[in-house]
Amino acid sequence: MNFRQKMILTASIAMAFVFGITPVTNAMHIMEGYLPPAFSIAWGAICIPFLAMGYFALKKTIENDRRSITLIAMAGAFIFVVSSLKIPSVTGSCSHMTGTGLGAILLGASSVSILGIIVLIFQAVLLAHGGLTTLGANTFSMAIAGPLVSFGLYKLCTKLKVNKYVSVFLAASFGDLFTYCVTSLQLALAYPSQVGGVQVSAAKFLAVFAPTQLPLAIIEGILSVLVIIGLETYAASELRGIGFLKVGEQ
Amino acid sequence: MEKIVVIGTIFIMVSILWSAVNWRFFNPNQAGHSHRYKFRHNHGEGVSIDYYAYASKIKHWNPTFKVSFSMMTLVLCIALDNPYVSMFVIAAMAYITIVKGKLPLREYLRVLAIPITFILLSIVAIIFDFSKVPTGLYDLPIGFGYIFTSNAMLKTGLYLMLKVFAAISALQMMTLSTPSSEIISVLRKAHVPKLVIELMNMIYRYIFILLEVSTKMKNAADSRLGNCDFRTSCSTFGNIGANLLVISMKKANAYYDAMESRCYDGDFIFYEEVKAVDKKLIIKAGVFMVTLIIIWHYTHL
Repeated sequence: MNFRQKMILTASIAMAFVFGITPVTNAMHIMEGYLPPAFSIAWGAICIPFLAMGYFALKKTIENDRRSITLIAMAGAFIFVVSSLKIPSVTGSCSHMTGTGLGAILLGASSVSILGIIVLIFQAVLLAHGGLTTLGANTFSMAIAGPLVSFGLYKLCTKLKVNKYVSVFLAASFGDLFTYCVTSLQLALAYPSQVGGVQVSAAKFLAVFAPTQLPLAIIEGILSVLVIIGLETYAASELRGIGFLKVGEQ
Repeated sequence: MEKIVVIGTIFIMVSILWSAVNWRFFNPNQAGHSHRYKFRHNHGEGVSIDYYAYASKIKHWNPTFKVSFSMMTLVLCIALDNPYVSMFVIAAMAYITIVKGKLPLREYLRVLAIPITFILLSIVAIIFDFSKVPTGLYDLPIGFGYIFTSNAMLKTGLYLMLKVFAAISALQMMTLSTPSSEIISVLRKAHVPKLVIELMNMIYRYIFILLEVSTKMKNAADSRLGNCDFRTSCSTFGNIGANLLVISMKKANAYYDAMESRCYDGDFIFYEEVKAVDKKLIIKAGVFMVTLIIIWHYTHL
């Protein structure tokens, strides 16, 4: 084969990967039984300090104002329902957003960790997405790492006086991208490549999930901005109630 | 013997893929209706797994037993990491769910098929590797190097797939026969913090309320050509998301008032049916666990 033929073959393989395998794209849930026991336990242990922090933050909020318990529970249900809504996509595949980025922007990163683990349990039990032995790994990537990045980026952008919609877009899509990177790393650590070790394996997992996750991250950013615009139009008072808008801010 | 495992795995894969492709087109058990042409369809009110849990014939088994049995099988399955154990678990869990629990086979396969994309993609990443020089058994040149695979890697991927299906079927045995409220009550007995249990109970109830609202909004948008092209469907999604949050907050306030007017003082107390523990079942479960360990003992290397 000459160089041109090789290039064409490479391009066709890439096309096959991009358009061949996208029937149903869930968010990056590692499914049940995929991780060896040592990794399941380790990721669970890493989550514990974050979960404890989230638990105490929630407890304090509820002790200060008992009414907020229904509000917090509703926020959890909202994350579940948003993550189960089918989002519009170009290729005709069926995919869902993670919803935790939006949750972190609206509610703050600390309470999302506890809500996230509850939502993940219900996703495993009610929808068969993810699982109970991989709950630790999934919690870390989706309820801790992603929301922390989203929340941090959003705060940073607000400090730097970036346009609000731009910062929501950046926060949501980078939170999603970070979730995807962390999941790929988790998979690579559990199954390192025989030749190149963890690095090559991580590259492989990143490459395999990229065609579905990269467009998804951008769409998630756009949709989060649209939700925020909708909220500001219809629900400015509710946004003030949860502390997203300051009193007197338009 | 190894060939039997390989053939078995391929058979499972094919049957699950087949059901995943077909279930949309003819599905007599799905709630729905048909118009002039006999295609049954529904308007987004999909049946969740919880529905099967309430309809299951093994609902009367003690929930603590079911949860701990499924968890122990799950742990044994991933700890022993053996294809023969996985095959045995898949067969046993399918027997419990389909024969004992009377779940239709097609529904069972459909539930197992949900994580199929993730399984296929992640197995692809495991059984293929990159290299500058042809090193594996099968090499495919891609310009700057080779994608290669070998028998050992294919075997790893296949055994992993079996293990994943075994673990999923063990989890589904529990979720397809135990309603979520009972799973939460088992968690309460396992001393999960009270606040988390309360939140779980409330979130579980609110999920169904919000799902109904979002289904109605989606149908309303669909009937007004809200999803005619990509731009419109994006803005539709944004509006649905925003309105969903507004409605959920309004409802949250109303529910707190409703709870308080019914003497809510910070404790949720739910009625729990007492379901007797069947000693025969426990003995059978014990025999099952020992069988798994014996299989592992005679087949591991």
